[in-house]
Amino acid sequence: MNDFMQTIALIEMSITCAVVVIWLLQKISSQVFPGITKLITVILIGNLFFWPLGLGMELPLAAYVRGALGDLSIVTLLLLWGSLLPATKPIPLAFKCAIALIALSFYPFALGVGMLDPYAWGYGSIAFFIGVLFFALLCGLFNWAKGVWIVAIAIIAWAAHWHESANLWDYVLDPFLAAWALIAIFAALYQRRKDKARSGYLFRPG
Amino acid sequence: MSRVIALCFLLLAAVIGFLHIDSRPAWAPFAVNSAALAAQELELEQSAPSKQAKVPSKSSIPNPITTWLPETGAPSVHAASLIALKDGAIRAFWFAGSREGAADVVINSAVFDPKSSSWSAPTVVMDRVSAEKGLSRYIAKLGNPVPARMSDGRLQLFFVTVSIGGWAGSSISSVISDDEGLTWSKPQRLITSPLINLSTLVKSPSIPFADGRLGLPAYHEWIGRFGEFLRIDAGQVIDKRRMSSGRSAIQPLVFVSDAQDATAYFRQTRSASQPKQVPVSQTQNAGQAWRWAEDLPIANPNSAVAGVQLSNGVRILALNNIDAGRYRLVLMMSDAQSTNWQIIDVLEDDSALPDDQRHEFSYPYLITVDGNDAHLVYTWDRKKIRHRYFSGPWIKHVQSQLTSAEPVAPVEEAK
Repeated sequence: MNDFMQTIALIEMSITCAVVVIWLLQKISSQVFPGITKLITVILIGNLFFWPLGLGMELPLAAYVRGALGDLSIVTLLLLWGSLLPATKPIPLAFKCAIALIALSFYPFALGVGMLDPYAWGYGSIAFFIGVLFFALLCGLFNWAKGVWIVAIAIIAWAAHWHESANLWDYVLDPFLAAWALIAIFAALYQRRKDKARSGYLFRPG
Repeated sequence: MSRVIALCFLLLAAVIGFLHIDSRPAWAPFAVNSAALAAQELELEQSAPSKQAKVPSKSSIPNPITTWLPETGAPSVHAASLIALKDGAIRAFWFAGSREGAADVVINSAVFDPKSSSWSAPTVVMDRVSAEKGLSRYIAKLGNPVPARMSDGRLQLFFVTVSIGGWAGSSISSVISDDEGLTWSKPQRLITSPLINLSTLVKSPSIPFADGRLGLPAYHEWIGRFGEFLRIDAGQVIDKRRMSSGRSAIQPLVFVSDAQDATAYFRQTRSASQPKQVPVSQTQNAGQAWRWAEDLPIANPNSAVAGVQLSNGVRILALNNIDAGRYRLVLMMSDAQSTNWQIIDVLEDDSALPDDQRHEFSYPYLITVDGNDAHLVYTWDRKKIRHRYFSGPWIKHVQSQLTSAEPVAPVEEAK
């Protein structure tokens, strides 16, 4: 079971590394990559990260990345991998705001401020579990079905003990998801301000 | 339509999640040795004269035995720990390498034969490469090993690994042995922190719960420096509780009083203006909630405290009872009902030497084999690990001599 879990974690990390490489390539490229190109590139780069390359390295590349980052949450994995899918609906800003708000109120307490430890709720608190379900329902109410799927898959992964952690928090949130949400919010605010300034210039009276 | 399908899938996930929560074990009380409790009660009931009658004559009291753990050739050794084996022998674990935190540090083990009072040749339990291959992630260095006896009789060894940074970047992993420590399983990672699982370490012995699971006192020392009580089921953390908060107390040592009550003593990491004493935390519900209690009035120079409780309720501590430095190590004793700790033996003391000639005596670890004796190991100037054995009759004799009920004045003791 432990061997299977470690292999799964390395496969996940290899795919994640490949997706990040494609995302970076897409950023610097002027052309949009077709889906099949993305798929083939994921397979190629994913294999490069998964298999031990030798060259003086004791482990596959993905194991080095995993050593530094740990296992990413299922929500982060699915959001990241889903970004490669064609014509995906943009992630609602409300979702990003909610993630940022939860992370900002969660991490300080989880890391030792006071005796309250919200991280401990993730081991089997019914109230916390209902809270996660409620969050998924809100995604559905905001007409973002993908969010419902992602949270539901994260819950099933937690119940199946897919990763090393037995804590639901580790399946629905990680610091990289929180950082992404915060950056996305600031980027959206900046874009809005930029758009407003531009429209103000164009339609300035007289 | 897609939204309806998604919500149906969420409903399925909710059912699976609720079933999963329902299958999780309830928090159990501490396992308390009923025979030990009976012995403790009997001891309390007995009057003083009869107690005196049980004390062995001085001529029959064996003196404490001192040995050294076997040398591995490594210039730096640290963080020794012990566990009693089924045949009455003692297995020790410690880490050794070119220096603390170096990539060549390995976790060594050796067995002490009480009949011959000698140690076996050291073996390597875990090195960095085995750890990273077993855990499928890069490991930069290894740290503190802490053994535990699982309810099914197997040995479990918890140890610290670091992938990035210093000790603040630590995580705990564990290996299991079916043959009393001769061979070990592949390591498993314990996930204890939501921030890349960073900064959880282990130093003190685990506590068994009545349901056979283990309570492992652990600590964080990155953003916060605080203790945590991990509930362990084989190779995974199934729950945890905070034992302290802030940046003032690490390396909790837990003394269990009964099925619900326990007290934790910490190594203080307070700022210069705060008292340099042993911080204390208590639980009254088997570790589900902890609250700060009054400090133990014993000096602590930001160094580890080791302890063991004997079957008659007597508690023994090994610690540096000075404000600064680790050049003095003492053994202290108290009964379970009081906090009146008294020094019973000064194990090491370089107080008379100039500062630059003093040695470091640190990281003590205490266990008992038969409930009456005590085995102690500690780092001796980071070059060697010293082992001391205090027999049951010797401890009983010392206990009988402790007539004064005055609490220890820590600062005066240090001078």
